[in-house]
Parts: sequence; structure tokens; C-alpha cells
Amino acid sequence: MRPAARIAGAFVLRVGVGAVLVVAGALKLRAPSDLATQIANYQLFTAAAPYLAAVLPAVELVVGLAVLVAPRPWRAGAALAALVLFGLFEGAVTTAYLRGINIDCGCFGAGGGPITWVTILRNLLLMAAAATVLWLEAGGRFRREIRAVAPGAVP
Amino acid sequence: MVAVVARAACLLGVGTALGLAVNAARGDGVSLRAFSAPSACAAAPAPAARTAGVSGATAAVEVLAPTAAADLCRDPRAVVVDVRSPAAFAEGHVAGALHLPCAAPGGAAQAAVELLAGRNTLIVYGRDTAEALPVAEELRRRAGRPDLRMVVIEGGFPRWSAASLACSSGPCPECGLPHE
Repeated sequence: MRPAARIAGAFVLRVGVGAVLVVAGALKLRAPSDLATQIANYQLFTAAAPYLAAVLPAVELVVGLAVLVAPRPWRAGAALAALVLFGLFEGAVTTAYLRGINIDCGCFGAGGGPITWVTILRNLLLMAAAATVLWLEAGGRFRREIRAVAPGAVP
Repeated sequence: MVAVVARAACLLGVGTALGLAVNAARGDGVSLRAFSAPSACAAAPAPAARTAGVSGATAAVEVLAPTAAADLCRDPRAVVVDVRSPAAFAEGHVAGALHLPCAAPGGAAQAAVELLAGRNTLIVYGRDTAEALPVAEELRRRAGRPDLRMVVIEGGFPRWSAASLACSSGPCPECGLPHE
């Protein structure tokens, strides 16, 4: 990929991923008790729901802001953290969807809407965007190490 | 790669610490130790309970707010019954609820009564409180068990759903009751 296209692509994806995380974190901050209820409704880690409700908004804000404005060495780390977050969200909504649990996804606090295949697809796209940002922001050494670990898995 | 992973872990750690600190500082933060999931069975006394105006001197039908009813719903000795239409049931219902609409044949009510063997709480809901009360009263009469706690969810499924309490969708394969 040419440097200019790579820089522009990284910027657009970075703004998208960072903005989604910042908005989601800010909206979740408004009602932590309601968020704990929404997390408990997933019936996965009910005992951990209040802790997740306490830390998740701040984690999303910190990671989102880092993706947006952190110096370059930190942006790759932030993109990896975003990829981890989106992966966890994807796992939670997918299992809820497959179990037929008709609950509010809580993705953007209250009023996030029920979990549908659109929610799953949206998370997949966010994961792909975060992975691409990670790939573009990481240095050449990082990419060589990834190729060594998983040859053929990445271009 | 190690540096990238370390920075990611650092950001997640900072966010976690910040979240716990903010939660502790704010007045409306979530209570980490006292939080109880809405579907947990605490068998707690129902502060919003009131008795419905049903006939008979034996156990009356209680009308509970959705959050209070949710405290009972995961008790393995509790049965949740949905009396709304099949379409409304399939679109969304309280997780684990059996489907027993008012229009169901009489045999369905008897089948539901038989499901109450070994149970001690029956939670009934409909589109609203009024739709559930006649079914609850009928089941109470058929069961003939003064020890059976009869509960109707105040405001029905709309109030339950508005409170973001646990729901499921789809048919009711486990209830064995007739469906349209």
C-alpha cells in the first residue's frame, strides 16, 4: 500500500474506531446501575456484572481516546486493546443471540436496541477496523513478527 | 510485538483503575457488593406488593412490580406463565415463561396446573395487569393449593421489558401446551 493511502486509511479507521469507543463509553457512564442490569441479563458472568459496569465505560473512554490522540507508539497498543474489547463484545452478543435471549444489547447504554444479526455484523466490522488500524499503526518489526507467528494469515 | 501487547494491557489497566475510582467517587455508582441481578432468586419480601381484589378467603393473588417479581423468577420452584397471544409470546417473553393464553383450551390450563407439582410460586403476566388476573385466579382455583404463592406482574410484559429485565423470544417447545 502506498504511504499516502496507508496514512489516510489509518486515519479514517482510527477516527471511526476511537469515536465509537468514546461515544459508547460516555453513554454508558450515565447510568452504571442500569448498565449492570443489562450486563447481568446476558446470563454469562452475572456475579461480575457490577464490576464490569463500573470499569467498562472508563476502559472504553481511555482506549478510544488513545486510539484517537495518543502518540503513534501507543496507538498500536490502543488498537489491540480495542480489538480485544470488540472481540469480547462480539462473543457476548453472539452467544446471547444463539441462546435466544431477547435482551437490550447495552452497547451504547440504555436504548441500545435488541441484539440482532445486525449487532453481530456491526461488531465484526469494528473488529476488522481495529485489526486494520493495528496493522497500519504497528511498525515493520511488529508485522514481521506476526508473519513469523502466522505465515500466510496476513499480507 | 511485546511492546504493543504491553501498551494494550497498560491502557486496559488504566481504564479499569479509573473506572473503579470514578465509580467509588460518584454518588450514583453501582454497588459492587450489594448489587443483585434482577433475575436472581432472593425470595425477598416484596415491597411493592399489594393484593389484588380476587375472590376467596384463601391465598390471594399478589400484584408485584416487575423488579420484585424478577427476584422470584429464577427460583426453580417458581413457574412463569405468559397469557398473551402466540404472536406476542413469540416476539418476546419473560425468559423461561410457559405460554398459556386466555384463549387456550381448558385442557391447557389443567396441563399447566399439573406442571405446578413441586412448585410453590406461580408468576403470571399479560399485556397488562388486568389480562393476567383472571388467568391467575383460574389457576389458583384449579390448583386448590393454599400454599401456592400466586403473583401477577404489575403492568404486564411492557413494564417488564421497559425495566430491561431478562427476556427470550421464539416458541415454547418445553411447555407442551397447545399453540396456534
